[in-house]
Amino acid sequence: MIAIVGKLIARRLITAVPILLAVSALLFCVLRALPVDPAAMSLPPTATVEEIEAKRHEMGLDRPLPEQYVIWLTDALHGDFGRSIQFRRDSGSLVATTLPATIQLAASAMVIAAILGIGGGLLMFRVRGTLLEPVTDMVSILLLSIPEFLWGLILLFVFGVALHLLPFTGQVSPELPAPRITGFLLLDSLLAGRVDIFLSACQHLILPAVALGLAFSPTIMRVLRSSLFDVYHEDYIQQARLRGLSEGHILIKHAFKNASLPTLTLAGVQFGILFSGTLLVEVIYSYPGMGNLMVDAVRNADLPLIQTIGLTYCIVVLVINTFVDSLYVVLNPKLRVR
Amino acid sequence: MALKLPRRSVLQTGAAFMAGSCAVPFTRALAAGKDTVTIGWPNDVGSWDPNQRFTPDAQAIFKAVFDQPLDQDPQLKLIPHLIKNWSLAPDALSMAVELRDDVTFHNGDKMTTEDFRYTFFERPKSGLKLDTANSWRKVQDIVVESPTKATMKFASPAPTAPQWLAFLGSFMVPKKYIESGGLENFLKKPSGTGPYKLAEYELNSRIVLERNDKYWGPKAKIPRVTIEIIKDPSARVAAIQSGAVDWTVNVPVREVQRFKDSGFAAALEPITRVILLQVRNDLAFADKNVRLAAHHAIDKAALSKAFYGGAAVPLSVPATPGTPGYMPDYTFSYDPELAKQYLAKSNFSPSNPVKIGFAATNGQFPSDYDIARAIVQMWKRVGIEANLQVIEYAKYFELNRAVKLPETTLYSWDNATGDPELYSGYLLNPKMPFSAWKGEEVGQKVLKLLNVAEYDARIAGYRELNRFAVEDGATIPLLQSVLTVVHKKNLTYTKYANGWMLAQTLQWS
Repeated sequence: MIAIVGKLIARRLITAVPILLAVSALLFCVLRALPVDPAAMSLPPTATVEEIEAKRHEMGLDRPLPEQYVIWLTDALHGDFGRSIQFRRDSGSLVATTLPATIQLAASAMVIAAILGIGGGLLMFRVRGTLLEPVTDMVSILLLSIPEFLWGLILLFVFGVALHLLPFTGQVSPELPAPRITGFLLLDSLLAGRVDIFLSACQHLILPAVALGLAFSPTIMRVLRSSLFDVYHEDYIQQARLRGLSEGHILIKHAFKNASLPTLTLAGVQFGILFSGTLLVEVIYSYPGMGNLMVDAVRNADLPLIQTIGLTYCIVVLVINTFVDSLYVVLNPKLRVR
Repeated sequence: MALKLPRRSVLQTGAAFMAGSCAVPFTRALAAGKDTVTIGWPNDVGSWDPNQRFTPDAQAIFKAVFDQPLDQDPQLKLIPHLIKNWSLAPDALSMAVELRDDVTFHNGDKMTTEDFRYTFFERPKSGLKLDTANSWRKVQDIVVESPTKATMKFASPAPTAPQWLAFLGSFMVPKKYIESGGLENFLKKPSGTGPYKLAEYELNSRIVLERNDKYWGPKAKIPRVTIEIIKDPSARVAAIQSGAVDWTVNVPVREVQRFKDSGFAAALEPITRVILLQVRNDLAFADKNVRLAAHHAIDKAALSKAFYGGAAVPLSVPATPGTPGYMPDYTFSYDPELAKQYLAKSNFSPSNPVKIGFAATNGQFPSDYDIARAIVQMWKRVGIEANLQVIEYAKYFELNRAVKLPETTLYSWDNATGDPELYSGYLLNPKMPFSAWKGEEVGQKVLKLLNVAEYDARIAGYRELNRFAVEDGATIPLLQSVLTVVHKKNLTYTKYANGWMLAQTLQWS
């Protein structure tokens, strides 16, 4: 199995190269097509036309677009993703600083979405044909119709303001000095042996993660339920019933296992979407992640930073897809035979 | 051997963890004591190099960590700070300064004129791409005479050099510390001479400041200040409402009364920011009648009442009350009938309207887009049909440079110094990217004033320019902008006419 997974990862790595090249070229062209002048934006408003022209030349913006792309690509391959116009710092280092917080948030949100989605899907299937079915249907539709930023605001006002149960700004309480080892605060606090920081970080993570999780759980719920409907038409379910197994046992031990594969595929796709959903949630919760940075970059037409963040999103999605496909191989014996 | 986890125990542990996590006291809100204060602030500093970018919203934060050579009192009068005495030559080609000799940077280095020269001459000229390279481009040299005495030499008259020493980007930085430790180290551990030291910084999230107990001036009252970067206005409302922050700004105007009613101190503070219409001198606005009609048709008091609770003062010139260029006795009337008469002279009327383009930002300053929509309606009544389009603030300069702005643009202009050069001298200077007006007559008047060294003559000149520009339709000033401030009642601070909210002036009562 390890060999098959290894081959899959190797294959994915090879295909990732042209994908990344295509995405980076597309991003580059689209950003250059915007009616924004990076040279003028990177200088103060009082800069003269001559200074802007000199800057344009320095940035290589007076060269043909393909040449500009080759320059950018060469620099990027050497780890230089360009200087952020707004922060006047290397875009790569800005992304590297903020990415761990976003991964941590997105991963926590995915866990919550998976728990709610799988739990809800099983419940929805279990109550099929009963008076509770329309109720669960309605709840899932309600969850589906509320976007993540609205959940963010609702949770903030309910649990942060009205009930005063949870904090809603930043990653950790300001009284606690955040250790910086890997950039993943939950992990870093444990590595530093600081349970108080770990608990504080968990508290700060709950609302944004639940806001994202709630927005993405209903899709999982509904796909799982429909997969379970399909699976229940299979012969082995009837045979299990004839063997006298309980409905609960059949659902969890037999049906769920098989119905979970399409759900897993969907979860992989959802993670990519969820990752980009962090943008507004991070702004609402002052969460120091890449989404927050992206909002800043877009607002200030910071093209080098937008390009770097866009490419990072692409890499994250590729990694997640590879991970999900590997998991698929682990969970589905049929794929291991080939 | 497969690892078997008892499912029930795992679930129980997970549930206990979640419950425990919630049960741990929500420390920040409960810990607010006299020694700490938490501020909800809408923007981050971007970089800890205070000379790097002109960001008006970051100036208050920089002023906590760094000092400026000169300062302003709450009424905006220039006052000594790191510089004890200054003397601008009558021709404004040089300025002698004397620094304090009791100032040290946070790292322990003593501040001298070498640091002054480094900050205002060597760094800007070093090719580091600092915004101060632009503001101090006239500096030819800074001659160091002693550790406390130096003279700034300018290539052309710099009558507002003292004002610029208290303005954007003009913060003293330590030469030795930056040169020996490198810029990257400075950005990570900035060392200023200010009343607070930077204790912790998380990009786009939080700034923690600790009092500088060796500060040369009055010590800050509160030892620890946390600045939460909360960009979303609704989240700032929630933060102050819940007690997560003690003090915040830029909440929606409509929330101010509600906060007052629920036990907070809340106010709409008029500041030195002007809201105006930047005007082009061509297209349909080449016709002076149309420009003047557009101005007479706007009911500024109604705009103030509708969008700023009446707190924004209607303006007739591009300067705010209390600043030198303001003309309290001069009023440009709201007169729709007169507007119709002007339009009639050019054969326009409500049934045959003149068509113009109108650009506005949406969300750059409170109610900007709503104000623009209201103006469109006011114009419609007199015979001006405006096609409103939304632009990003950052694109204003680019569109202006490319001569692609429409006839008029709703714009806001911040000038913490209050000096008229930094109002009309910039807003109407055709050579600067701020000005949409490229008319020669106004331009000549501005360029002449930029070289007037004598203060009274300069101020009188700008007042005359303001009147001329308004009556020529070269600018349409609308309102003095307001800042919304909400804080706990037992937290006091010094109010500055330019809207500075300085952490060092905060005090619990």
